[in-house]
Amino acid sequence: MSTRTPMLGRFRLGYVAPAALLVAGLLYTPFLWTAYLSLTRYDGLAPPEWTGPRNFVKLLDDPALLTSIRNTLLWVIGTMVLPVGLGLLVAVLSYDLKGGAWYRVPFMLPYALSGAGLGLVWSPILSHDGIANQLLGVDTAFLQDAPQNTLAMLLVWTWQQLGVNTLLFVVGLQSIPKEPIEAARIDGASGWRLFRYVIWPLMRPLTAVVVGLALVASLKTFDIVWVMTQGGPGRNSETLAVTMYKETFVASDYGYGSAVAVLLTVVTGLASYLYLRRQVR
Amino acid sequence: MIRSRMAVLGVAAVVLAACGGNGAEAPAKKKTELTLYNDKGAWTKFFDEMGVLSKEKIGLGMKPTGYTDSAQYQAFIKASFRTNVKPDLFTWQTGGMLEEIVKQKQVADTTAVWQQAIKAGDLSQDLAPYYTIDGKQYCVPMNVAYWGMFYNKKIFDKHGLRPPTTWDELITVAETLKKNDVKAFYHTSVLFSFVWFEQLMAGMDPDLYDRLSTGEAKYTDPGVVQVMEKWKELIDAGYFINPGDKTDPGDVLKNGKAAMVSFGTWFNTSMTQRDMKAGADYGFFTIPNVNASLPKTSMIFESGPLCSLAKADDPEASLKYLTWWTTAEAQEKWATTRGDVSANPKVEIKDEALGQVTKDAGSGRYRLVNRYFEATPPPILTAALDGFGKFVTEPGSYKEVLETIQKEADEYWSTHQ
Repeated sequence: MSTRTPMLGRFRLGYVAPAALLVAGLLYTPFLWTAYLSLTRYDGLAPPEWTGPRNFVKLLDDPALLTSIRNTLLWVIGTMVLPVGLGLLVAVLSYDLKGGAWYRVPFMLPYALSGAGLGLVWSPILSHDGIANQLLGVDTAFLQDAPQNTLAMLLVWTWQQLGVNTLLFVVGLQSIPKEPIEAARIDGASGWRLFRYVIWPLMRPLTAVVVGLALVASLKTFDIVWVMTQGGPGRNSETLAVTMYKETFVASDYGYGSAVAVLLTVVTGLASYLYLRRQVR
Repeated sequence: MIRSRMAVLGVAAVVLAACGGNGAEAPAKKKTELTLYNDKGAWTKFFDEMGVLSKEKIGLGMKPTGYTDSAQYQAFIKASFRTNVKPDLFTWQTGGMLEEIVKQKQVADTTAVWQQAIKAGDLSQDLAPYYTIDGKQYCVPMNVAYWGMFYNKKIFDKHGLRPPTTWDELITVAETLKKNDVKAFYHTSVLFSFVWFEQLMAGMDPDLYDRLSTGEAKYTDPGVVQVMEKWKELIDAGYFINPGDKTDPGDVLKNGKAAMVSFGTWFNTSMTQRDMKAGADYGFFTIPNVNASLPKTSMIFESGPLCSLAKADDPEASLKYLTWWTTAEAQEKWATTRGDVSANPKVEIKDEALGQVTKDAGSGRYRLVNRYFEATPPPILTAALDGFGKFVTEPGSYKEVLETIQKEADEYWSTHQ
């Protein structure tokens, strides 16, 4: 027997409908439309012309796509190692220090900048005659040669993202129960062994969230690359998201751009699914 | 149960009604102020001044909305054709892009405006082909520009240099500057990466350049390869600044980071905005042909259109505005405030060098060559801009670059001949 009031039962679909319609209208419909466009030739003006899988066949034969995939992978691996990995390190080293919060403040401040703002600030610093070269006393084209330009942008990304990852890990560290840690300490565990076998497993739910968010963010890297290099020179710093934008809005090849969008969606969805399935097992 | 389903349907109907239009054609509205969307965000101040002047002269105000990212702007305009948020007037590009929107019947026919302006001497017949599709004119010239070389006069004076009149003289100038540790030329790996390609193509084989833009020639043809080799020769000689330099080209010229910057006459606005004085701080000369045997000196030319929608809210007001825009009264203001040349031959250009280039362009001694940006279809242009960006940072890659552009061209022309 239901415990719901008759009123709630009668109108329950009505309550859900506005939100469901919004999601359907703003998320699923554009996604299905993009999937349809990926099977057409479309310049944004004339009606789309059905071409079947032609755009996906072209994708397989496009050397620029391989570069985009390579760079996107670099972004994923780099994000795991730098903003996430270093974030964990800073959190572990500072969370039980007296006044640790003050040590973490400088890492947090850059998070206030948007991706585009970040690019605007760092682009002149890393340019040929920028401050970075002058300070280091070198003559390096940080944003020209690949994969050096992607690595340089990753360092900039780390500068911004480190603080928020640190903060999330500190919250995780503060919320884990103290008893198992004290018990482990009494048993003689300390340092690396304490972290590896006691703290790390207890933090697993939070780590799954931080890594999951970083995974999705790195797969769709766009703004910082677009502002700093526009995917160039040539196309050597393009990521999948930049390729999608350029093909769609710069080259006006909406069909091909949509095919890249579908590929990016599949890759992001698959990566997230595989990762989360492993984490919640 | 039936009631709850009815409620869902009711909510859906309200939401859908709110999202949709009213279905019927809206009656034409009489407007006293028009919106002008453009991809020239830096010129908002000048558009504003034109809006004030037009309100005073013809009783029609104009409010500009300027974008600074042309890809974002073009996507907005294309999308606006299918929505109710439409600009009354908008800037666009001649060449393939104008043809695209004309074919989709989105642009108002301005043949009558052109006929009237040509008769009144406000527009030149020579300009009409850039705006003609299937015998009719569309849009009017928002601006015209002739391309040449802006040079830092103080640097030239310091080293006893004069504007060159032959290609060999230009190279001698570059060589003298190099010996004095001054970079001769500006170039970039982003957006304007095509400048030296079009200039060398036009100065070596303008017919081949024209054939490239219509798909009758290939980027891998020997003539194009020679152009890239010439360009590489200039880069290898050390005449150019680093292509990754993020300094604004206006500042590059002002600060003497490079002694010469090749751009359209609109670059004069950048000079005046930096308080540089024509004739004292900087000068302008036409770039001589590489191939001295060509009958005419090639001069890169561009003209940006100002268009009205075929289904404008108030078509009469939009056409009235375009007609006024072509007159000397409007063009005098438009050219003077920006310190640029005008599409109206009656307008007197105060800047001596720019006034001279306008006269020269109409003298018949020059061959006007359509700028690469307008002459090249968007997908090929995108591949080419990326390709030239790669080339200027890795000059040895020119054959690979040409093959990549040709691959895109092959695909485009297979469906667009």
